[in-house]
Amino acid sequence: MNNSALWIVLHRMRAPLLVLIVTYTIAIIGFLLIDGMDNNGKVYHMNIFDAFYVVTYTATTIGFGEIPYAFTYGQRIWMSMIVYATVMGWFYSLGSIISLFQDKLLLAQIAESRFRKQIKNLNQSFLIVLGYNYTTSEIIKKANKEGVRTVVIEKDEHKINELNLENFTPAVPCLMGDVYDPLALEKAGLNSKYCKAVVSLFADDNLNLRVALTAKLLNKNVKLAIKSTTNDQSEDLRDLGVEIVENPYEIIAEQIDIALRNPYMGILEKWLHGIGTLDDEIKYLPKGKYLVYGFGKLGRKIYQVLNNNGIEVSFIIPSDEDIESIPKDMLNIVKFYETDEDESLLIEDIKNSSAIIARSTSDTLNLSILARSRKLNPNIVTIARESEMAYLSIFENANIDFVFIPSKVLIEKTTNALLAPYSSKFIEMVKEQQELDFAEKVILRIKNKIGSNPITFGLTVEKEKSYAIWNSLVNKKRIITLDVCRRSRSNWQEHNKILPLILIRNSQVYLLPSWDMELELDDKVLFVSDEESKNDLRWISKNIYEFYYVYFGKEKNMFNKLFKGGY
Amino acid sequence: MNLEKVISGFFIILAMTLNFGFFYGDIDDISQHSKYELFAAIVVNLIATTLKLGDRTQMGSVLLATSLVADIQLIAAATVWTIGAYAYALDSSTIVLVVSLSGGALLANFVSVVLYVGDTLKSKR
Repeated sequence: MNNSALWIVLHRMRAPLLVLIVTYTIAIIGFLLIDGMDNNGKVYHMNIFDAFYVVTYTATTIGFGEIPYAFTYGQRIWMSMIVYATVMGWFYSLGSIISLFQDKLLLAQIAESRFRKQIKNLNQSFLIVLGYNYTTSEIIKKANKEGVRTVVIEKDEHKINELNLENFTPAVPCLMGDVYDPLALEKAGLNSKYCKAVVSLFADDNLNLRVALTAKLLNKNVKLAIKSTTNDQSEDLRDLGVEIVENPYEIIAEQIDIALRNPYMGILEKWLHGIGTLDDEIKYLPKGKYLVYGFGKLGRKIYQVLNNNGIEVSFIIPSDEDIESIPKDMLNIVKFYETDEDESLLIEDIKNSSAIIARSTSDTLNLSILARSRKLNPNIVTIARESEMAYLSIFENANIDFVFIPSKVLIEKTTNALLAPYSSKFIEMVKEQQELDFAEKVILRIKNKIGSNPITFGLTVEKEKSYAIWNSLVNKKRIITLDVCRRSRSNWQEHNKILPLILIRNSQVYLLPSWDMELELDDKVLFVSDEESKNDLRWISKNIYEFYYVYFGKEKNMFNKLFKGGY
Repeated sequence: MNLEKVISGFFIILAMTLNFGFFYGDIDDISQHSKYELFAAIVVNLIATTLKLGDRTQMGSVLLATSLVADIQLIAAATVWTIGAYAYALDSSTIVLVVSLSGGALLANFVSVVLYVGDTLKSKR
C-alpha cells in the first residue's frame, strides 16, 4: 500500500462517520416510532423514507419544514432534541475533514506522492542537487539553460519555500528529507536511467562523504560531484570512485598560481567558465614579498604555491584563529602581532610588502586589514577571498585588486564538469602544454578569428545528435573532414567564424585539431564560434540537404533546385 | 480480550444476521420481508464498514472490500424499494429485485464473516 495519504484520510474519518451514522439512525428510528397526525386527524406513522428525508435536510441545516403533515407536539419535541445531535455530528465530520487537510502528516504525504509522480514523469536527463542555497540555485539555473533538469532534496522548509518562490522553468521538483537518507535519494530518482549525477557541495565534509558513500552504494554508475576541503577527504572520495572532487581551497591556490605564472591562462579559463571575456585586462600579481592574513586550511597550500614561484611569505594570525591548528613545521614562518610593540612591526611589514592576501574566515576582518594596509602602503596589491557568495557583494565596492570567490568557482567547475565536459578537458590540456605563451597564442587566435566574447559548443558524431554527418559517414561511406564544419550555408566556399578547440576520439584527445582532420564515428569536438556559425553548424550536422550543399557545393535534388530557382 | 475486536466482530456478525433475517422468506412476498429489518441491516453494515476503514493490512483491505459490496447491494435494494413504492406500483418483480439484491449482500457479508473468523483462528492469541 503506497498510497498513504488516502489511508490517513480513511483512518481519521472513522470516528466522525460513526457519529454521523449513529445520530442519523437514532433520529430516524425516533420519527418512525412517534405518532404523527394527518390532515384528517388520523394517526399517521412516518415511513422510513420520510424519516430519512426529514433528518437529512434538518441535519444539514437546510430545513424544508414539517412534511408530509404538520408535526404533532411529540414529533416537535423529538425534533428539537435530535437537531442538536445530528447537526453537531454533521459539523464534527466537516470539521474533521477540514482539519485533516491542514494536517502536517497528510500534507507531507500528498507532497511526497506528487514528488514521486514528477520524478516518474521526468523523461530527460537530470541532476540531483542536495541542499538549496545560493550556490546550488546558480547550478540549477545553468542546468536549466543547458536543458538538463534538476531535482532537489532539502531538509529546511523555509528553503523549500524559497525554491518554490524562485519559479524555475522548467519546474524543479523538491523533496523534503535528509540528504544522506538512502530512501530520499532513491525517491529523488537516483536509480533512474535519466539520472546523470548527484551534486553535494555542503560545507560539512563528513556529510559530503556520507552522501558520496550512500549514492555510490545505491547506484555505482551515477556520476558524483562532491566538495571537499582537505586532502585526506579528497583521497577518500577518489577511492570511493567519485568522478568530480571539488576543493575550493585548492581552487584558490591554483588561481593564485595561475595569476603569478600565466595570467593568460586565467583569462582563458574565466572566459570558458562564463565569468569574463577574452578582452579582460590582464592583471599581474607582483613578485615581491607577500603577507598573508590568516592561516586556516589554505595556509600550507598558499605557502607552497608562493614558495614554488620564489616568493617570500609571512603569515599574520588574527586573534580569533586557533594557534594549535597550525602545523608545527609551519610555525617558523608565522608571525604573531599581539602587543603594542608588535604593532609597529606589523606596520613595518606592511610597508615592506608588495602584496597582502586577506583570507581569514571573517569578511569584516579581511576588509579592515586591507583598508589599513592600503592606507599604510598605497602601492600594496590587495587580494581577498570572499567566503560566501551573496547577491550583493561588498567586496566589489571595496576596490580590492583581486577577489577570489571560491563558491563562484565551485559553481563554474561543477556545472562545466557535468554539463560541458569538453571545455574542462580543453582547459586541462592547455595547462599541460609546456610552452608558456600557449594560452596567449590561443586567445589571440580566437580573438582574431571570432571576437572577444565568442561562445563554445560541442558536436558529437552520432545518430541522435548529428544525423546528417552520421548518415554520410555510415550509410554513404563518404570521407568527411572537419573543414565541412566551417563552411557557410549561404555560400559553401566561404568560411564561418569558427574554430575547433579539441577533438576527443575514444581516449585520445587532439588539441586544436587542423581543418583537414577526418571525422570518425563517436568523435566529440568542442568548437568556439559566434552565434551565426553555431546555428549554421547545427543545421549542417542535422539536415541532410544542408549537409549535401556544403559537402558537394550544390543542392541535393531537382525539386529543391527548381524550388530555389523560382525565387 | 480486546474490546476493539469485540466491537468490530459484533458489528460484522450482526450485519450478516440482520441481512439474513431480511432475506429469509418467499422471494416475491413482501409481507415476509420487513422494511425495518432492511433499514437496520443498512445501518449496521455502514457501521461495520466504518470500523474497517484505515486498516492497512491485507486482511483489512479485503474485509473493507466485502463490506463495501454489501453496503452497495443493500443501499441499492432500499433505493429500488423506495422508487418502486413512491414512483411506481410495488409489484412482485420489484420485490424479487429487492430481495435478490439483499441476497447478494448476504453473500458478501458471509464472506466477510468467514474471513474474520479465519483471521481470528489464525492469530495465536
